[in-house]
Amino acid sequence: MSVRTEPGTVTWADVNRDVERTVGMPGNTYFAWMCVVALTLAAGVVAWTYQIYTGMGAAGKRTPQMWAMYITTFVFWIGIGHAGTLISAVLYLFRAKWRTSIYRGAEAMTVFAVMTAGLFPLIHAGRMWFAYWLTPYPNQRYLWPNFKSPLVWDVFAISTYLTISVVFFLVGLVPDIAALRDRSTGIKKKVYTVMAMGWEGSDTQWKHYRRGYGLLAALATPLVLSVHSVVSFDFAMALVPGWHSTLFAPFFVDGAIFSGFAMVLVLIIPMRYYFNWYPYITDKHLDAMAKLTLTTSLVLTYFYACEVFTAWYSGDHFERASVFAKATKQYAWAYWTMYFCNSVVPLILFWKKARTNTVILYVVSILVLIGMWFERFNIIVPGLAHDFYPYTWGTYVPTITDSTIIVGSFAWFFILFLGFIRVMPSLSIVEVKEVLPHPLKHARHGGGH
Amino acid sequence: MSGIDRRSFFRIVAASGAATAAAGCGPTAEKLYPYVSPPENIVPGVAAYFATVCRECPAGCGVLAKNREGRVIKLEGNPDHPVNGGGLCIRGHAALQGLYHPDRFRGAVVDGKFAPWESAEKILADKLGALARAKQGGKIALVTGLETGSLARLLDEWAKALGARPRIAYEPLGLEAIRAANRASFGRDAVPEYAIEEAGYLVSFGADFLETWLSPVGYAAAFAKMHAFSGGKAGTFVHVEPRLSMTGANADEWVRNAPGTEGPLALAMLKVIVDEGLVAPGVDARALAGAVQGVDVAAVATQSGVPADTIKRVAHALGASKTGLVLGGGAAVSGTNATDMLQAINLLNVAIGAVGKRVRFGGETVRPGTYADMLALTQAMAKGEIEVLILGDVNPVYAMPPKAGFAEALAKVPMVVSLANRPSETTAKAHLVLPALHWLESWGDQVAEAGVVGLMQPAMGPVEMGGKPVDGKSVGDILLSVGRQALGLAAEPGKGPLQTPTFGDFVKAEWAAIAKDQAKGRPFAEFWEESLRHGGSWRETPAPAPALRPEALRVKAEPARLEGDGTYALLVFPSARFYDGRGADRAWLQEAPDTMTQVTWDGWVEIPAETAKRLGVARGDLVALTSPHGRVELPAYPVETLHPGAVAVATGQGHAYPGAYAQARGLNTGANPVALLGAVPEASSGALPYLGVKVTLARGAGRRSLAIPQGTFDQDHREIAQHIGLGAARELELRGKPPEHASHPSMYPPVKYPDHRWGMTVDLDRCTGCEACVVACVTENNVPVVGKEQVAYGRDQHWLRLERWEEGPAARPENIFLPMFCQHCGVAPCEPVCPVYAAYHTRDGLNGQVYNRCVGTRYCGNNCPYHVRRFNWFYYHWPSPLDLQLNPDVTVRQLGVMEKCTMCVQRIIEGKDHARDAGRRVKDGEIRTACQQTCPTQAISFGDLKDDKSEVAKLSRSARGYHVLEELGTRPAVTYLKKVVREGSGKPAAGGHKA
Repeated sequence: MSVRTEPGTVTWADVNRDVERTVGMPGNTYFAWMCVVALTLAAGVVAWTYQIYTGMGAAGKRTPQMWAMYITTFVFWIGIGHAGTLISAVLYLFRAKWRTSIYRGAEAMTVFAVMTAGLFPLIHAGRMWFAYWLTPYPNQRYLWPNFKSPLVWDVFAISTYLTISVVFFLVGLVPDIAALRDRSTGIKKKVYTVMAMGWEGSDTQWKHYRRGYGLLAALATPLVLSVHSVVSFDFAMALVPGWHSTLFAPFFVDGAIFSGFAMVLVLIIPMRYYFNWYPYITDKHLDAMAKLTLTTSLVLTYFYACEVFTAWYSGDHFERASVFAKATKQYAWAYWTMYFCNSVVPLILFWKKARTNTVILYVVSILVLIGMWFERFNIIVPGLAHDFYPYTWGTYVPTITDSTIIVGSFAWFFILFLGFIRVMPSLSIVEVKEVLPHPLKHARHGGGH
Repeated sequence: MSGIDRRSFFRIVAASGAATAAAGCGPTAEKLYPYVSPPENIVPGVAAYFATVCRECPAGCGVLAKNREGRVIKLEGNPDHPVNGGGLCIRGHAALQGLYHPDRFRGAVVDGKFAPWESAEKILADKLGALARAKQGGKIALVTGLETGSLARLLDEWAKALGARPRIAYEPLGLEAIRAANRASFGRDAVPEYAIEEAGYLVSFGADFLETWLSPVGYAAAFAKMHAFSGGKAGTFVHVEPRLSMTGANADEWVRNAPGTEGPLALAMLKVIVDEGLVAPGVDARALAGAVQGVDVAAVATQSGVPADTIKRVAHALGASKTGLVLGGGAAVSGTNATDMLQAINLLNVAIGAVGKRVRFGGETVRPGTYADMLALTQAMAKGEIEVLILGDVNPVYAMPPKAGFAEALAKVPMVVSLANRPSETTAKAHLVLPALHWLESWGDQVAEAGVVGLMQPAMGPVEMGGKPVDGKSVGDILLSVGRQALGLAAEPGKGPLQTPTFGDFVKAEWAAIAKDQAKGRPFAEFWEESLRHGGSWRETPAPAPALRPEALRVKAEPARLEGDGTYALLVFPSARFYDGRGADRAWLQEAPDTMTQVTWDGWVEIPAETAKRLGVARGDLVALTSPHGRVELPAYPVETLHPGAVAVATGQGHAYPGAYAQARGLNTGANPVALLGAVPEASSGALPYLGVKVTLARGAGRRSLAIPQGTFDQDHREIAQHIGLGAARELELRGKPPEHASHPSMYPPVKYPDHRWGMTVDLDRCTGCEACVVACVTENNVPVVGKEQVAYGRDQHWLRLERWEEGPAARPENIFLPMFCQHCGVAPCEPVCPVYAAYHTRDGLNGQVYNRCVGTRYCGNNCPYHVRRFNWFYYHWPSPLDLQLNPDVTVRQLGVMEKCTMCVQRIIEGKDHARDAGRRVKDGEIRTACQQTCPTQAISFGDLKDDKSEVAKLSRSARGYHVLEELGTRPAVTYLKKVVREGSGKPAAGGHKA
């Protein structure tokens, strides 16, 4: 590890050096992590293969918990995918300067999270080999998907989101890739050349780039709200007690941002440490992230209260019984874990020291991720475990197969992310430079003395 | 030219193409062979029906075997048959799994090895011949199940010809005490017919007539006639039993008595009737008064734990009803005093004037031998008096108490021959197995009751196993052939005993005699054909009231003596699913839940809830029962309703089937409660006292979870199964249904049904919970068996489930049985959520499910509030030859698709096709679903709701009609009719429900 650079002293040259350093030959620690992640992923792939071969019975699903951990994790990853766009697009439009040093990582996280989430509809489908039937494609039988089904809306929402985030991500990379291109050789150079799309850094290019980037940001912004709203419709449009609620869209969007911020913290805190990016990702950044996490947590708590209140106030027997069962029956531990992680733990962030202490922040973020996973779990599994028909009430138990697939999905995400940080600039050279003092101005200014 | 010519090129291409194709698809492609010469009467795609008689229990119900392309694929009740009138029970349906049992013997077995049939027969014939020639025929013994027709005569003729011991017809649940009591009371060694349908007030002392007692299908139908609410009237049924059986759960009042006190209770009731002067006119009240002189109602009340008020009230109502009927003597309450109890019941029936009217002694019928006969045979075997023992389709090694020593005695018999066609505990000990053909493959007949002779015909050829038909003959043919060989006779018809060439000819010859009596001058050929088509011949027989013998007035009023010093009386109750154990090797029956406990696949012991609490035993914890005769360990099932001084175990499980399929499928589950019983028969009847021991209860080691698909019996105020008081029902009937106020606004235009809107009604007042519909549906719709583990985990595949719901106090709940299946909602929650239109609404109002289109998102399964959709979690298999039973009109579903009740869409299509061919509209009642067809009480109707005059439309407009979870606005096509409960008599009021 190189000497810790003090914040406020970096120059443009430092930025170039510090970022390029990350794409060099990685060390042993990196390979060790890669091995762990790759083996986990392999286990996940084996488990999925086994499930395809034996049938969905390999996963712990039953009647009526016909959805369980896969949809839970699907919603979880879609949620994670939200913070990236929020940071890169929304904060860009609001000209929040502190975003510059974290947005690249967050954006990559978004793309990879959506790519992970996208696996789950396939993993979940009983006949995944026919999953393409959910897309409207011309066919001689004139068979179209059912546009009344929220699952078809999902297909559109997620594919749109993935497309826009990938484009936004790649466009944002162009000037940085160009910088790497100019300093690399061999196969790397070829790849970077293609990705840089002929970037020269001319004034005209910059003018067009700025405008295009702004437009893309404007295009991506509504998606932050729409995608998770649509995902929430999977539940809100259904009849199940505890699902059928107009609360779901904002509730899900807020939860998504909440978990997304936690995930960003989980990723950038180690990156800052390993890449020695203290000058770029400062305590100020962490503080800002923590504040947003706290805010979204408070909003989420409000939604939780609303959910319980509505169930009680509606007078609907099924709703009341559902909430009561979640809080007291076989899944109560999951319910209270959720409250603890999502509503209680983040309260520590009211304390300024906690917002800048990386250890506390890291633990809080991990707990928030666990809590948010359980939030989705609580909607799906205990919700279905105690719905309309008492005959079928019962308990879902995870199996080795579905647990391995879930863990494998994390490995898939991390293998993508680990790969990314070694081949792409995970800190935006261009945007970080923008918030640094201009070297020429500085020189001229200094020269005047 | 190169080395390859055009022909070889094509050969290679074809071969590799075929290889790729074959390797590509999972299950190997089946070979299709065309018929060289098409068999007669078989039109591909059109079912042929053969009328025959169900032989799964002695009731003798008429069945129609549905044959498609040479295979029987379903059994249906014969609507013309006087015993069952079109209904069929759960065991009747499962007969097919006996027919197609994968462990079925493919041929003769000699000392555990397959042998050519002729040589196996010769071994037996030589031995028999040697004994007959040596005039040692007395060393030959023959034990069969109950046979009442031609086969019985042939068997007896055979035994006589060889000089063998008299044949024993062994039925473990033989209800010998009924005959013994009738012998004592009326001098008639017979089981009468009980005209339950004509009773207005029915009292049963432990007679489980809706489950196994005598003729459960016929009696269920009769019970519905007397008890179901119709036109403002409904009869009353009181059931007396220490345990709440399914029959008891159907009673308007269930009286819980101390085990073994039925006899004293019956006499106490008689006393009340006599004292109150309610004895029917024409009956000698003075004589009856003498019979109950020493009876003290208060003492009986203390003894039996039944309040004196209850005894008086029930007795009064019974006596005052003028149309009373008393039944008694189910196996579960048959103890050392069974004959006395039944004699007391006879007196009750005499007192209320039921004998001769509702208790009818027609002509004599053949009834089984007794357990005591078997015991005598066992002793003879043990003494080495038996050289050859021929056992029909009986399993005494399993069914007799181990203390009787049958298994040990069997070892002393030099040659044990079994004619059973499936391996059992008994065949495992046989030296020679000559597997008889299944009754669906055989000729025969069965006298169900006086004047009712059912005719059996082969409904198919012998089942093919491993590519060729099983080697076997019917029991009659085996005996004819073996007997002739032994006696050195030739087949010369009319020349003497055993000389009819085949058993089929023998039956026909017997029927020639019946024809003299019943053909009424028609030629025999015509009579024969008609009988074949109808499934038999029946006529009314006079039933004069028998006179009461004076000795019959001396009835002892002692409770049953229970052996052992345990604290709990052991109630061994007959299983409605496995009967005496013969049904346990059928996976369908193992997977169909027991109605009261909803337990599948395993045995259990019912223990009183307070005992469970005291011992700290939860459901599924192993409990050891120890009697002076044995010990069994079973998972506990605590129940609130059971008498605190009793524990209960069902008969039928705890087998040791040696077959590979039985072992792999887990059919050897549970424990046999007979192992706890003593071997001493009841003195007067020779019956095995199923109520005979006391046991001690102790916690066993560990637990074995029970597979119970029903999560809870408490509906949690959800009004899924609704009931209404009798008074309120009458009032509703007069006033009609209150108009509906709910509005169902929709953004979509209402669905139009241009031709039909199929719908169903289920009358909960008629449903007895017998589960016949569950297995009928399984049979019709190729529903797979998934096994204990999967059922326990909520992955049973049943399209129709029979739910039991409890209302009111846990110790005496009102039980409502509710068959639940796809409700075919008009506004179906499953349909809009399917992303690919696999779930869709047909123009006939069905919720269609396109298996081929289904991707398996399971969204529909979540969104169905009734949770009747079933997902194919795995590939399900039908081990050969069970696959031969599959209905070719119904798709066998693939892995990963959703399925559910289709309202038997294949039958709807067939009915519509018929109507179209005939150029008319579908007639009401022409299409019947499998569940509707089998229902003994006709609780289910199906039809076109658009046709105002259809039965289903009328019923769905019934004032008692409601929809399950109506408030969700799903507008189901299935209407349930509320169960009608009697107010008072300790019942919960019908309040709290929408009336």
